[in-house]
Amino acid sequence: MAESGNNEVIHDGKTAEQLCEERTKRILDASQLKEPDRIPIQLRTGYLLAEMGDISNQELHENHERAQELLEEAALTFQPDTISGVFGGPGPSKVLGDRMTKWPGYGLGPNGSFQFDEHEFMKAEDYDDFLADPADWAIRVYTPRAFEALEGLATLPPLGMWLYGYYNTMNYGTLLAPPVQSAFEAIAKAAQLVVESQQRGAESAKRLAKLGFPPVSLLGCLIEAPFDFMSDTLRGMRGIMLDIYRRPDKLLAAEEKVLEFQLQHAINFSKATGVKYAGIPLHRGSDAFMSLEQFETFYWPQLKEMMLRLVEEGITPFVLYEGHWEKRLDYLSDLPKGKTIGWFQASDIFEVKKAVGDTMCIVGGMPVSMLTSGPAERVLNYTKRVCEEVGDDGGFIMSTSIGELQGCDPELIKLWIDTTKEFGVY
Amino acid sequence: MSENLVQAITEMRETDALRIAEEQLEGARSPLEVLDDCRQAMEIVGERFEEGQCFVPELIMAGELLSRISEKAKPYIREEEGDQEAEHLATVVIGTVEGDIHDIGKDLVVFMLSVNGFDVVDLGVDVPVAEFVEAVKDSGASVVGLSGFLTLAYDPMKATVEALADAGLRDQVKVMIGGGQVDNHIRDYTGADAYGRDAQAAVKLAKQWVGAA
Repeated sequence: MAESGNNEVIHDGKTAEQLCEERTKRILDASQLKEPDRIPIQLRTGYLLAEMGDISNQELHENHERAQELLEEAALTFQPDTISGVFGGPGPSKVLGDRMTKWPGYGLGPNGSFQFDEHEFMKAEDYDDFLADPADWAIRVYTPRAFEALEGLATLPPLGMWLYGYYNTMNYGTLLAPPVQSAFEAIAKAAQLVVESQQRGAESAKRLAKLGFPPVSLLGCLIEAPFDFMSDTLRGMRGIMLDIYRRPDKLLAAEEKVLEFQLQHAINFSKATGVKYAGIPLHRGSDAFMSLEQFETFYWPQLKEMMLRLVEEGITPFVLYEGHWEKRLDYLSDLPKGKTIGWFQASDIFEVKKAVGDTMCIVGGMPVSMLTSGPAERVLNYTKRVCEEVGDDGGFIMSTSIGELQGCDPELIKLWIDTTKEFGVY
Repeated sequence: MSENLVQAITEMRETDALRIAEEQLEGARSPLEVLDDCRQAMEIVGERFEEGQCFVPELIMAGELLSRISEKAKPYIREEEGDQEAEHLATVVIGTVEGDIHDIGKDLVVFMLSVNGFDVVDLGVDVPVAEFVEAVKDSGASVVGLSGFLTLAYDPMKATVEALADAGLRDQVKVMIGGGQVDNHIRDYTGADAYGRDAQAAVKLAKQWVGAA
């Protein structure tokens, strides 16, 4: 919030405090399926900031003050209702020798774009060990495979030995072995970087609030559908798809495990921070990846349970429906009304509105491709149509299809946002 | 007898398929016939994928079965037999453009083009513009497929289309693009000939262009 006593009018005849208040209300109303004063606008810039500032993507990640200035510049230029910049940063990955991500300046050229480099870190034959003791397997087998600097953890005694109380202190010598020590040091360094980044995040939110942009994070704690969790960082796409045929029971048993500890984590996170949201990006369950029968067996029941149990705890799942979900919208319409939010990337947004407009707040509407290619007239007409059809009756937050605007034309972004403000009034 | 193998593969009965293939090879059935069954099975899986009756798990399983049965058949193939080349519709050069390392969509397109009779030159991921141009020159390809998941892929796609033109190859090839954030707006932006939403669309486009549709 803006500092008290600062009554300076900064935009639209309002003070920063007034702007924060009305923008927050606008977003929260829409998220609860209500009709706000007008359609709220979410802007997630990604590497667009680097283009605006004529710096490399690497510098955007590493020069924090410059990145903040550019974020503020974008906020003031576009005047959305909520804004966020680039996702994460390469710091922890560099320190940990992370083998599953690539960042500008770390695995990619300075103008590369952050991406996951998927591997089969968990082999088919690992299922039994994983199922027997996921935590031990995670620390002593998985982590050394996925992070070069943490290979030393492979030499630790089984973690279950900690249950041996005093007798286990006799094993503490292993903790001082140089490879284990260097792994601990890397973890401490990475943790320090994460804490610093959180502090910067809090500072950034304060600075944005002074400009009238509220710190509304609908993402909260990041977790995954159990199937995606098994796929993304463990089995990889090829591995998981073969598991459907070769070891369906083990896959289902593993999904149950990862469902439980992710839920526990999301609930603890929410209690500790007061943030009542959980972000769930969906990857391998969309129309193109699996049949409805497979979806009903391996994907949806586990994801639905995850969402329902979050809702029971007063947490709103903010779900990113990546890819096409047109054939699955009926399932989504089963979710409790007004209790989840869905950001749709490639699905036909007008179909989405018809099918789940009464069920969940819809986020999305503007393909980033259109903000790259134009022309202006198409952006204008399309935005009007989205406002009229998808914005109808509220429960809609205007956003780009994804939170990465690298390559988009700033003038088209401005046009899209201004048009939404004009035609999105209720 | 041979129908069993085709069925076992298309029904994803892995153990049966491998056992049948082994029995047939040991029972002196021609290894080329066994492989021809595999090819037929791949075609059926490919058709079902196009019709939306099969999905990624089936394509991957079928691919896996094909490679395992091919391994088994290899020792049985006499040299002169191995030289027989299947007929190809045309050559397609394909890759994920520079700066992008996503391969899932591209791999599906490669698989589908291959089972549909195209000779596919797969350049992999993060492919520099010049490599596409070289590959088209070397292979005489008539179709180029540019894949990319990130918005970052837009400009390298555009640059690749331009480079093909600069090299005097633009009239020789049709260019299709696809993946993640790509759509018809990006077709206009990059100057590609067409955008395909999925692997089925890629096959349809390629067939149209080489007059095989």
